[in-house]
Amino acid sequence: MSTVDYLELLKLAAPETIVVAAAVAVLFVDLVIMRDEPMRHRLLIGGAVTGLGCLVALLWLAKVPVHAAVLGGVLVVDPLTQWVKGIVLVLTLCTAALSLHAKFTEHVGEYFTLVLLATCGMMFLVSSDDLLTIFVSLELTSLCLYILTAFSKRDRSSAEAGLKYFLFGGMAAAFTLYGLSLVYGLAGTTNLRAAAAALAGQGLTPLLAVALIMVVIGFGFKVAAVPFHLWAPDAYQGAPTPAAALIASGSKVASFFVLAKVLMLGFAGVEGSGAWRQFSAGWAPLLATLAVVSMLLGNLAALAQRRVKRLLAYSAIAHAGYLLLGLLALANSDGRPEALAALVYYLATYGLTTVGAFGVLGVLERVNGSDRLEDFIGLSRRAPGLALCLVVFLLSLAGIPPLAGFFGKFYVFTAVVGAEPARLGLLWLVALAIALSAVSLYYYLQVLKRAYVVAPVAGADRIVLTWEDRLAVGGLALAVVLLGVFPSLLLSPLGAAIQVAGY
Amino acid sequence: MSVGLTHYLVVSLLLFCLGLFGVLVRRNLLVMFMSLELMLNAANLALVAFARYHHNLSGQIMVFFIITVAAAEVAVGLALIVALYRQRRTAHVEDLASLRL
Repeated sequence: MSTVDYLELLKLAAPETIVVAAAVAVLFVDLVIMRDEPMRHRLLIGGAVTGLGCLVALLWLAKVPVHAAVLGGVLVVDPLTQWVKGIVLVLTLCTAALSLHAKFTEHVGEYFTLVLLATCGMMFLVSSDDLLTIFVSLELTSLCLYILTAFSKRDRSSAEAGLKYFLFGGMAAAFTLYGLSLVYGLAGTTNLRAAAAALAGQGLTPLLAVALIMVVIGFGFKVAAVPFHLWAPDAYQGAPTPAAALIASGSKVASFFVLAKVLMLGFAGVEGSGAWRQFSAGWAPLLATLAVVSMLLGNLAALAQRRVKRLLAYSAIAHAGYLLLGLLALANSDGRPEALAALVYYLATYGLTTVGAFGVLGVLERVNGSDRLEDFIGLSRRAPGLALCLVVFLLSLAGIPPLAGFFGKFYVFTAVVGAEPARLGLLWLVALAIALSAVSLYYYLQVLKRAYVVAPVAGADRIVLTWEDRLAVGGLALAVVLLGVFPSLLLSPLGAAIQVAGY
Repeated sequence: MSVGLTHYLVVSLLLFCLGLFGVLVRRNLLVMFMSLELMLNAANLALVAFARYHHNLSGQIMVFFIITVAAAEVAVGLALIVALYRQRRTAHVEDLASLRL
């Protein structure tokens, strides 16, 4: 058994440690110092401590380059994981900014603590190459998110949404765990790379197939892919808006990244193929099927939604389909660095866009008290700036150039086509994805039509925006435009990081 | 007849299926939670059996972590039930139907 240098370990896990310290600090400050202060001050101070923690962790990530693995993969730190952790932290920062007007709870300290602990779980999830740490950090993230979903005690639907999320999530965890235990049983090790090395050359044995299916089912729940998506619309609708934003963005980024790692490293050698008429068993055809049904059902069901949160939930399901396509491109080891960069770029831009959309939604909910499509009527006159940001976010989700969403889709689809360059076998998936993106434009435009075209009823007054709203939503819209106009801002450092990390 | 790895695996798979069946079929939230625990414990049994088979301890270490995580999960789940019960005086899934299209 190798010994561990705990000082070295602390240095490697410093960003996570900072986040946990911030979580404890925010609880202490709120419960001990700010107890009798008015709500507004408590929220501001809590948000400030949370933001400070995230910023310090981000600074540490940017300033201290490390590249090491502890205990054979229990904690792996390389430039790529640092980038993904940075993305998660930025998303948390934006979520915290959106929470500053929270009216759903008076437990400010507990709320921000749970947000930070969920973030810590996501960061460990990104960093783990080991079955044990994957499971434990997955559960840390999930448990915090269940509580955050049910956090609004006055709202009838919040507890119900939390319970549904919990039941589906608990089942997903059991599936993932059983699949991982079978991987351990077959390989005799809990390390992903070592497991793949031990299983190399055996092909897809029946027990490995069961393990693979169970792992994919478990993560399918987590990333809300059809047919495991049932919790998503309810959880998004019932959860307080900032919590829904975190579930839709940060948790998605971390889950997709770790799913990519598990499939790419742990199930190396049983990729199979999802090419047209040349299917062969493995994880690629499995993901191809999930991607197709997710894109179909997500986009079609979104057409019928009257509530914007549910609409965003179904749009998230459709985007999970596109992202699964992105995972498919990782099956071929030739173009893997490019495919991985495209996937992370897509995840980052999608996360930023979604948080922004939820931010606009949060402002409207505060003013109108609900999230029906009709509440968007006349938004362009009531708050021109906010309406413009909404245009940026929704068109980016639909994939209109020059916004970030377009380039995310472009790079992912290019990577998928490039994964089978000789026969263009995966072209059918890309064709379907592009066709369904066109469908998705319809329901995004439904929202924008109400914001810009439909005449407002008389008497609707202007919406007063606070400086936090302006900063968070405006900053996110700017980021989405900038990353769209200059995709290399994110893509080239990601490419370099992937090269150093050696995928 | 000696009891080998296969026997343990069959039992663990049976436990997993029983748990899954319970979650899908039973309508009382508490019973559903117990079924979820059964699914996790099925994985625990498989891990211990595999650890013994491979003569290495990492499987057993994992079991300790899983037991702890499962306890935390139950705590969160029961808290959610209590929150729901305070609002609606019910612990049945049929009554969780206010979120629809």
